[in-house]
This record gives sequence, structure tokens and C-alpha cells, in this order.
Amino acid sequence: MHLFLFWAGYSLSVTDYRRPKVYSLCGSRFYQTKKKRWRDNLDATNRPDSVIDTQKHDSDPAFVRLRNPSTDAASLYMLGSGDVQLFEVKAFDEDFHSWFVGQTVQRDGRLLFVTPMDPLYLILPYLIKSGREGKFQPVDQVVMDEEFPACSRLLSCTRSLTSLHHITEEKEVGKLKFHRYSQEKTMDWLKKKVERTVIVLKKRNISVGERVKSTTYIRVKSESDYHEEDYLRYAHGLISEYISEDLSKALLKHLQLPELTSPKETEPPTKKRKLSDNPVEAGEDYTKFNSADFVRKPPKKMTAAQKSLAKVDKSGMKPMSSFFSPKVKSEKK
Amino acid sequence: MDLGPFERDNSVSCRLASQIPDVCRTEDCCLGIDEAGRGPVLGPMVYGICFCPVSKKQELKDSKVADSKTLTEAERENLFEKLDEAKSYVGWALQILSPNTISTSMLQRTKYNLNALSHDTAIGLVQYALDNGVQLKEVFVDTVGPADKYEDKLSKLFPGIEVTVRPKADSLFPIVSAASICAKVARDRVVKGWNFSEDLGGVDTDYGSGYPNDPKTKAWLLKYLDPVFGYPQFVRFSWSTAQTLMDSKGVTVHWDDDDEDGEKAAQRKNNKSMLSYFSASAGSNDQNPTHQTHRFFTDRRLKSLDTL
Repeated sequence: MHLFLFWAGYSLSVTDYRRPKVYSLCGSRFYQTKKKRWRDNLDATNRPDSVIDTQKHDSDPAFVRLRNPSTDAASLYMLGSGDVQLFEVKAFDEDFHSWFVGQTVQRDGRLLFVTPMDPLYLILPYLIKSGREGKFQPVDQVVMDEEFPACSRLLSCTRSLTSLHHITEEKEVGKLKFHRYSQEKTMDWLKKKVERTVIVLKKRNISVGERVKSTTYIRVKSESDYHEEDYLRYAHGLISEYISEDLSKALLKHLQLPELTSPKETEPPTKKRKLSDNPVEAGEDYTKFNSADFVRKPPKKMTAAQKSLAKVDKSGMKPMSSFFSPKVKSEKK
Repeated sequence: MDLGPFERDNSVSCRLASQIPDVCRTEDCCLGIDEAGRGPVLGPMVYGICFCPVSKKQELKDSKVADSKTLTEAERENLFEKLDEAKSYVGWALQILSPNTISTSMLQRTKYNLNALSHDTAIGLVQYALDNGVQLKEVFVDTVGPADKYEDKLSKLFPGIEVTVRPKADSLFPIVSAASICAKVARDRVVKGWNFSEDLGGVDTDYGSGYPNDPKTKAWLLKYLDPVFGYPQFVRFSWSTAQTLMDSKGVTVHWDDDDEDGEKAAQRKNNKSMLSYFSASAGSNDQNPTHQTHRFFTDRRLKSLDTL
């Protein structure tokens, strides 16, 4: 588990994280790795003199509820070491598990992972919303949410203000900075994220091809058999967990990946198609004038079996011949 | 009888055996199989074999070995002494199936019932005698399950040996009686001196006969029920007596191979009604119909949280 989360945190950041801090939790109990001191010292040296820096520097990490950019509902995050770092909280949750912790039993076998996350993902929805007005605004006036007042704390994260230029155009008037959401910049930024994710997917040997449900299943395909598109699509799907659906679709276009049409979306027609009693004829058929017997033969009567076959709803079915044509290769990028 | 090997680790199955008498390797032998401690909810089940040359049958009969159930504990100990004295022509071997072995066999994912366990243990002991060069010609067994089926099974496994499976064999054939005495004596000693591997602190050893209907046993089971762990390994968890008590007094524990049914189980397992597959939105996430978590997370059972 740690392995996967290591890269999840790793890949979603623009600037490289040296080592993400992985906290493991059991219920409400909270354990920290020994790396904390080291990380905090490191962060302190990297910290910009933030205007909104009102939080205590060495305060304990705190769980906060913020708006999930993908679902628009509340999700749990953690702000660490005086709000300079944002972490997302994911729970490994499977049926029929529980913990023995010291001398107690914890009923759910959940394992919480607290992994570093780029705060820009959470700031982005607010910028998009205000961007519709098309005005340059101070960012602390934009990142406000009555439902989730803690969202303003995102701006004190080390990398929030310094990386805003990835998704906005900036203007500076005196000492004040103004921002306006830029779709093009955001797309480029997200594309970079996808590309970085692809690199990690390959490095970590994540299976991106056809779904493999069993871990004991041994893949015949070697990793090199996967197309670049498979990786891109998988990475796009992962990044889409952190952005809105609209943005996800736009990103798909930006990556020049064709949208997949899943077969379950095609619903069968509500009504049976009405068949005309007349035999099907070409509207303009010149061949009959060329033939020797100019007189048209009367249409043959169909047998009962042929009639019943003709009534079968063939909509959405591929013709037989399509199975024999050479496969259209998906465009390689 | 040295119970040391079992007492060192009483959570597993253990074999104890006497020396093989030399005559048994040269003369045609008969062998009796019997068990002790099939019914109790406490303690091990012990399987015993006893063997001697066919020619010594009468001597065995004269030593007045009889069905262990008709004897007092002192008489049994006495007879076991006699068998030990006759070690020049009588051999025995025991398989002690710890209560833990019984519990884990019967409660494992692919169930292994007590009859199958009994049969396999008996077969194992006969094979042990054969492997040690005992010239077996006759085998007498007290039945477990249908007699003729068992007899068939054993005859096929040991061709060339005349197998007799008979109910009450322990009172009909002296060699089976001898086996039953060995088994019973071993079980009595093991139960009396049970080493609790659990830290129970001055455990009350007054648990009666160990049979489910013994009031003393019942009282003991009630006293030593832990809401989380259930019982010490001394108790056979697979016995319905133990299970009923754990179900009513202990914490509910769900296993992934529980045969649950009813609406509650379906709800807990997040099962969908069959009908839902026919509606237009089949296969969508209930919480948010537009959002479907990426398979990276669902494959790894990772979820976002909104509260701790």
C-alpha cells in the first residue's frame, strides 16, 4: 500500500517531492513517522514569507473538511505543520477486517493514508468560478467558501501562491497581486501532471491495460506491450479524480484522446421499429435498364423463417463482415 | 506413557507410541482402533491403536481388558500398567488431536468434519503400524458413521488386511478394548494436566466431565468466555455449545465466508436488487451518479473520507 501511495503523492505534485510523509492511522489514533522533524525543518527553510501566515509554525497537523474538486462534496484533508502542507486522506476499506491495536480491538479494518497533495487542485474550482467574471482579483477574495471556511487556509500552503501562475494570469499592482483563471494554462499544467503520472505508472509497473481483477493472475502481456495511449488514458483517469468532470473532458480533448463510448450507454430503442410490408428497393437503380431482361421480376415471397428474421432488431449490431476486416489501429501519439 | 511431546505444544496434533515389540514384526498381528473424547466440548480427542500377535489374543483376554467406559479411572490406569508390562508382545500408538486442531479443522474454509478427521486419524495410525513393520492381518475398529461404508473404505486402503468394523467393538474384541484403554488414559491425563497457553491467571480447573450437558462444564464455559476472543484453546470452538454461548454473550464477528442471508446481510454486503440491473441507470454509483471513482482507487479499496 505504501508503495502505491508514495507515488500517488509523488506524481500529483508539480515540483518534486523528495519524500512524502506517510502517516498511518488506526481509527482516531494517530502515529507519525520519525521523519516529521526532518521534514518540518526542511519546510521552514523553503517557506515564503506568506501574507496569510497566521498559523502557528509548529502546530500539530489538523484534519479539515474541504470541497472535493471532483465530487463537489465534502472530503477530508489534512493541513500539516502550520498549514504549509496539504495532504489528502484516503482510507483502505475492505469488508471483514479489523485491527488489534495494543490491547484493544478496532472494529473496522481501515487504514488511513495521509499523502501529500498539490493544493492547486483544491484552489482551482474557486478560480474557475470567479474566472467567469473575467476580472483580475486578489486570490484571497476568490478562495472563500461559506460551507467550507477552512478553504482559505489552503493559501498558506507553501506551494499555493508560488504556483498559482500555472493556472492563472497574474498582474501586479504595487505589492498586490491579482489573478485571473486561464483555461489554456490550466490545460498545459494538467497535461504535465498527466505526463508525470505516466512516468510513475511505468516506473511502478502499474497495470493500465485490460482490467486484471485478481492479484494472483499473471499477466501474459509484458508492460512494453501497453500502448502509450493506455498509459495516457489511465493517468488522465487518475488526474480526473482531482478535477471537475468538465475539466476532465476538456483535458481529454487537450490530450487528443478520443472519448470512449461505453457500450452500456447505448440503450435499446423503446419502440420496435416498424417494418414496411413492401420489399426494400433502391431509390434509383439504373442497373435494371442495362440488363437484358428489361422486365422486372416480381419480388419473391419471403418464407416464414426469413420473415421472422427480418423482424429482428439489428440496431447497434455490427454487420458480419466487420469482424473480418483488418483492425483499425488506434492512433499512436 | 510420556505426554511430554504433546504438553510442549498442545495446540497441534501429536503422536505418542510405544516400542514396537519384535514379535509383531515377525508374526501375524491383529490391531484394534478406538477413540476417547469424541463428545466433550473440552479437551483433545485421542485415537489409539493397540496391536499384538494373533497368537497372543487369549493372553490379552485373560488380562481382563474391557470396554474403558465400564471401568473406573483407577481400573483403567491399572490395566494400562498391565499393557505396559506386556510390552514384549503388545504395542500401542496414540494420536492426540488437540481441541485446537478439531476447531480449526471443522471451522476452516473448506470444512473438514469430525468423521473425516476421525477416519483419517485412524488410517494414519494403521499406516504407522505398517510402516514400522508390524505384520498386520486383522484390524478391528469401533465404528464411526455407517459401519459398512467405513469397512469398505479401510479394506480398499489396506488390501490384504481383514478389516472388521463393528459397533461396540470395544466390548467385543479385547484388542479394541486395549486400544480404548490407552486412548482413554491418555485423554484423562491430558485433560487433568492441561497447560493453558493463555494467561488466565489461576485458572479454575473444576470443569467437570467436559461434556456439553454437564452443569459444571457449562458453568466453566460461561465463566471463561471472553467477549472478543471467546475461549482458551482448551475449548472446541466448533461445538455448538461453545458457538451458542459466543453468539449470545460475545461480540459479533463476521467472516467473509459466513453464510448470511436475509435483508440485513444483503444490505451490509451492499448487494443490489436483481431489479436494479434492468433499470436505465444500472451500474452507477449510488452516492453520486455522475462520479465514478477511478479503478486505481477502487482496485486498491481506497476511498475518500468525509469524516473520521
